[in-house]
Amino acid sequence: MAARPPNMKLYSYCMVEELNSVDTQIRGISDAPVRLLNVDDLGVLVSDSPSDTVPITRDNAFAHAAVIRSVLDRTTPLPFRFGTLVTEQQLTSYISSRKPALQTNFAAVRNCVEMSVKIIWQLPMAQAPDTQPLTQGVGTTFLAQKRRELAGDERRSAQAEEIATWLKETVTGLTRDERVTVRPAQKLVLSAAHLVERPAVPEYREKLATARQARPELHFLLSGPWPPYSFANIELEFKTQFGVS
Amino acid sequence: MSSSFDQILVGEEWEETDISLLETLDHVLNRGLVIAGEITIAVADIDLIFVGLNVLVSSVETAQEVLRNRQTDAD
Repeated sequence: MAARPPNMKLYSYCMVEELNSVDTQIRGISDAPVRLLNVDDLGVLVSDSPSDTVPITRDNAFAHAAVIRSVLDRTTPLPFRFGTLVTEQQLTSYISSRKPALQTNFAAVRNCVEMSVKIIWQLPMAQAPDTQPLTQGVGTTFLAQKRRELAGDERRSAQAEEIATWLKETVTGLTRDERVTVRPAQKLVLSAAHLVERPAVPEYREKLATARQARPELHFLLSGPWPPYSFANIELEFKTQFGVS
Repeated sequence: MSSSFDQILVGEEWEETDISLLETLDHVLNRGLVIAGEITIAVADIDLIFVGLNVLVSSVETAQEVLRNRQTDAD
């Protein structure tokens, strides 16, 4: 086999621990073979990249996800974000300089998977325009309309928070960690990622399947199990972005 | 452990393959370990059929923000 140029970019899919091999059948971005690169005591799933950019296409997005998913039955990986292209030297430096934080991250997600819950609702109907303009000045009409809008915002916020609380109570005791985003003004009112220990996944599914029957006014999009994308790098990202060690 | 999407219930106009792409994009573009300055992506032929759900919108915005930041870093 020809030697790789030292500046050859590696497309990096995820980091793994305690993994000795990868599925030789799995193909990565641009149908490239995937290999396991060992750095210190950790591993990284990579493929050689002939290009310096990675287009976001259906095939590439699915390939990225499929490579990471291919090891999920054997270990809990720390996924890299789509488009991570580095030289081997950069990758080695990154891991060596952050090894304690990476090990902490591995410990946090070990033996877990991520389950995703998205809740969609029909936003409450907007209030009808003021129908009494003849007896009110323009300023009064404007203020009345503004008051109704604010009341609507508060009502939506209260409803969204109630949904978030309901979901949290539904899965309480079944999650090790969670990331929840609530957007009262959006149709996608809640997006949650739950870190669930593998043995608890069936019970988690049953709980949500039963619970959602009680909320026919809401639409649910439940998916998983995923590798722990949402729990990979909160601490690390902060350190990377702001140089805090 | 099964790797398929286990439960999907959204509007009747949604196909399972669309949801798979939607969820995959939401995960791989918005989340995961980041090595600063090393995300090199380009928005290509993803259909904008998910705009109503705003998940893909946020994903594409993330991608574009990354590209902008990268261009700024290069300047």
